[in-house]
Amino acid sequence: MKKVLTKEEVLHVADLARIEVSDSEVEKYQEELGKLLSDVEQINMVENYDDERLIAPWTEETKLREDSEGTMLNPKEVIENAPRRAGNYIAVPVVISENESEGA
Amino acid sequence: MNNNYIPTIGIEVHVELKTNTKIFSNSKNGYGQMANSLTNVVDLGYPGTLPTLNEKVIELAIKAATVLNCKIRRQMHFDRKNYFYPDNPKNYQITQAETPIGYDGYVEIDLDGEKKKIYIEEMHIEEDTCKSTHKSGKTYLDFNRAGVPLIEIVTKPCISSPLEAKLYLEKLKELLFYTDVSDCKMEEGSMRADANISLRKNESDPLGTKVEIKNIGSISNVKLSLEKEWERQTKMLDNNEYFKEQTRRFDDKKNDTVLMRVKETGNDYRYFPEPDIPFVYITDEMIENAKKKIPMLPDERKKVYIEKNIPEVNAKKLVEHRELSDFLNSLLDKNVDFVVACNLLLGDISAYLNKEEKKLSETTLTKEKFIELVNKVSSKEISSKNVKDILKDVLETELSIKEIISKSGIKNISDDETINKIIDKIIENNQESVKDYKDGKDRAIKYLMGQVMKETKGSVNPEKAMNLLKVKLQSI
Amino acid sequence: MTNYLEKSVKEINELLKNKKIKPIDLVNEAFERIENNSELNAYITLNKEEAVKKAIELEDKEVDNILFGLPIAVKDNIVTKGLRTTAASHILENFTPIYDATVVEKINKNNMIIIGKTNMDEFAMGSSSRTSYFGAPRNPWNKTKISGGSSGGSAVTIAANDVLFALGTDTGGSIRQPASYCGIVGMKPTYGRVSRYGMIAFASSLDQIGPMTKNVYNNALLLNVIAGHDDKDLTSSRKEVEDYTSLIGQDIKGKKIAIPNYFVSDIVSKEIKEKLENVIELLKEKGAIVDYVDMKYLENAVTLYQIIAMGEASSNLARFDGIRYGTSYEDPNGIYDLYVKTRSNGFGKEVKRRIMVGSYLLSGENAKIYYNKALAIRDDISKEFKKVFEKYDYIIGPTTTTTAYDLTDPMDDPSKSFMDDVLSIPVNMAGLPGLNLPIGTSEDNMPIGMQIIGDKFTEASIYQLAAFLEKEIDFCGGVKYE
Repeated sequence: MKKVLTKEEVLHVADLARIEVSDSEVEKYQEELGKLLSDVEQINMVENYDDERLIAPWTEETKLREDSEGTMLNPKEVIENAPRRAGNYIAVPVVISENESEGA
Repeated sequence: MNNNYIPTIGIEVHVELKTNTKIFSNSKNGYGQMANSLTNVVDLGYPGTLPTLNEKVIELAIKAATVLNCKIRRQMHFDRKNYFYPDNPKNYQITQAETPIGYDGYVEIDLDGEKKKIYIEEMHIEEDTCKSTHKSGKTYLDFNRAGVPLIEIVTKPCISSPLEAKLYLEKLKELLFYTDVSDCKMEEGSMRADANISLRKNESDPLGTKVEIKNIGSISNVKLSLEKEWERQTKMLDNNEYFKEQTRRFDDKKNDTVLMRVKETGNDYRYFPEPDIPFVYITDEMIENAKKKIPMLPDERKKVYIEKNIPEVNAKKLVEHRELSDFLNSLLDKNVDFVVACNLLLGDISAYLNKEEKKLSETTLTKEKFIELVNKVSSKEISSKNVKDILKDVLETELSIKEIISKSGIKNISDDETINKIIDKIIENNQESVKDYKDGKDRAIKYLMGQVMKETKGSVNPEKAMNLLKVKLQSI
Repeated sequence: MTNYLEKSVKEINELLKNKKIKPIDLVNEAFERIENNSELNAYITLNKEEAVKKAIELEDKEVDNILFGLPIAVKDNIVTKGLRTTAASHILENFTPIYDATVVEKINKNNMIIIGKTNMDEFAMGSSSRTSYFGAPRNPWNKTKISGGSSGGSAVTIAANDVLFALGTDTGGSIRQPASYCGIVGMKPTYGRVSRYGMIAFASSLDQIGPMTKNVYNNALLLNVIAGHDDKDLTSSRKEVEDYTSLIGQDIKGKKIAIPNYFVSDIVSKEIKEKLENVIELLKEKGAIVDYVDMKYLENAVTLYQIIAMGEASSNLARFDGIRYGTSYEDPNGIYDLYVKTRSNGFGKEVKRRIMVGSYLLSGENAKIYYNKALAIRDDISKEFKKVFEKYDYIIGPTTTTTAYDLTDPMDDPSKSFMDDVLSIPVNMAGLPGLNLPIGTSEDNMPIGMQIIGDKFTEASIYQLAAFLEKEIDFCGGVKYE
């Protein structure tokens, strides 16, 4: 089965992934993504044995960590690799207005 | 308020958990420290880093689920919520979408003497984002908050008035604070509330367009903002004005809600199970251990205090002052006068703590010392004036009450002979007043009594002195 | 040039103990070899200054273990404190980590010397190492051929005899497949056997770090160093580590071996099947029991891989946004522009394609349609393996369907790189250990490899069979252990 992705779908995915897709690239992506998704589509032809899922081949359950403090970085180390900084802060080059900010 | 429409309200609350360290890393969970001083490579989302899971978070979540009457999930995992935002270091947040630790719970509120259950849809564990400050064309990121443990508590849309919303939040805060799950300080952001409200004409109508109010700064503002929103939407509906699902915030200065954004085609968070954290199993033992750490809850405390003859208004005050209430609770198995104990705690001791800006634990008051003090007061061996005089010594020295009393020279005059001698002297020097008394002027006896107190510098048992004075005056 | 690195590990260890040579001699020789082989493009970053410094420091130390003072190459998606780590991507071109991966700590604790960071497919996405921002490595057997990937540089430097030890990572075959193409031994351990802390994640539920070496014994020695529980990785196992050399040299008589029919179907080239046939005959001759078995879902593994690996990758690579570290777009017009420009300029074509597909597969209702379905079938595959291992000690087959192909072969088919891993992917799906062992060469003199798969935590037993065959097959001039 050949899967075809619309231009809008490609642009929506590009937006989700924060990847730029120029007008000239849209068609190429439509084709390439379409090809991969046609492969992936095959999954729906396969009948699974039961509904149990394997999220990861974990061998053991989570062992919880004791609530005691470990070593931390100093602010200098934190900002060391950041392309933009100011004082002890890592900076982002543009304003995000209060109205836009999302809570957790 | 226009009552043409019935509001349907749901509330989402985030609380920061009171742990030493973050949820997925062992850096410190702290507030108000130097920017970017409480982080490590995990919090910063460095390439190659992996999460670990703090056991205290699970314990506190179980406690919260328990007091919110939730069912507890026995096998759970985490999920990734994917969205790009500068305050989201990995550009995904680790949360629980599929298997929230608690579900199907309720909180009971007291609505004009009637109980109402506010139903909890679910409560889940997740990580906090970092703090961003917006200033002069730039955004500054402080990762100290990144990875602080949160629980999010989501009600069903079953709240039917702004007042109920307020009562629910107060109750929630009280419960989470008392169980040491969280500080619940809205002003510091350790408790944050979002509310959503829609209006409809009749209970049988479908729900109206939902408006969400985000990040409301105080419980009273939750009530206020919902009232304003009720009012605003009512006007629009009455004018047949159409509005879209949207997110607003409450503006303190305008005293009204302000539009943040109109909701477009729902957010596409691309949830999927977090592969870096294997299943977590909540065992009976973990639940029992967490439950053991739940102290007596506020409602129960009030009931017990009232049974001990403490007036309801004082019982409420005690519960609002957690430390004093805990202290009083440590005496519950002792045979002391709880009314006196309560009065001491809420009276002179509270006044001292407020003035000195201290906690009770920062004074030298011990359980034993307090019992001694209560007993001295209830047996009238010392007067309330005496208490005021010796309070500093009681709270600031290691001396016992007995030692303090003897040091301060309080001689409690309680033998009849001594008191009578003093009364004789006062009567002799105040014949005018005695005459007044005999003429039926009641005020005179108070004056005479005052003189007795003055003479003894307040160290006489007042009740006894009054009785003896009356006897003496009648015999004249 | 000296030739110490052509001796066995035991011989070198003796020389070091007897002060006949110093670690610096090994380091100098390794760099000389790497220099002579520079056209192979096996390395992204050399650690010359620090390696020399470390070698000199070691002169005052007691030779405390068999790997003491030996040079090792580390794949460039494993972070090294103070040493540039790029994952072969422009977006990390100038990234210097501020912490060490757990495996790196273990290597350092054993006084091995990190010689450099090896070339690879960008973020390990690919099977020919040609998606590297730093250009593809070349196969030492024939420089016009690919090395395989993604751990191409590590395979190349071992095959070229630059060093005796290298670390690779394997998400769908990225250790075993280049090992097969370059004729070396590569082990992907059980999921959870080696800590992933500090491995730049591609697909977290499939990734595993493993050793790449010239022979089986050395491979087991390196696994001894890197295996073990790590508190920093919740998916790492608390199961005790054994001595992985302990069964080497033991007979394999009576061992039960299964060959899935799919592994010898038409997808595999004739000459590879022939070479495997020879091995099967040999095994039977030596008293092993070999059966062909049917296993369901194996043919679906690539599809599962595309869904799960790309889904996880789209999330794992979201952190590269130009804010906290890495290459950042200089002059963005707004936050959205910063993200988009940084990522579009920073990632290569293959990586962007995979992120896009992964995002699509998780978006909206797709997560339910594709992702959950894939996890359900993944569980079924895992159970199929379990069933086979109830009866058999090993599953064997070819590692790859062909030998290494030309560097100039087209890269425009987006499915091709996945199909290269068709035989190795099922092992990652089930979290099993799998090893590539060279078993011969093709007509055009390119190496052919076989895959030995065991049940979880049976690495020692895999080494037993591998070492047995290694001795019998006498690939490439034989092995030297003593």
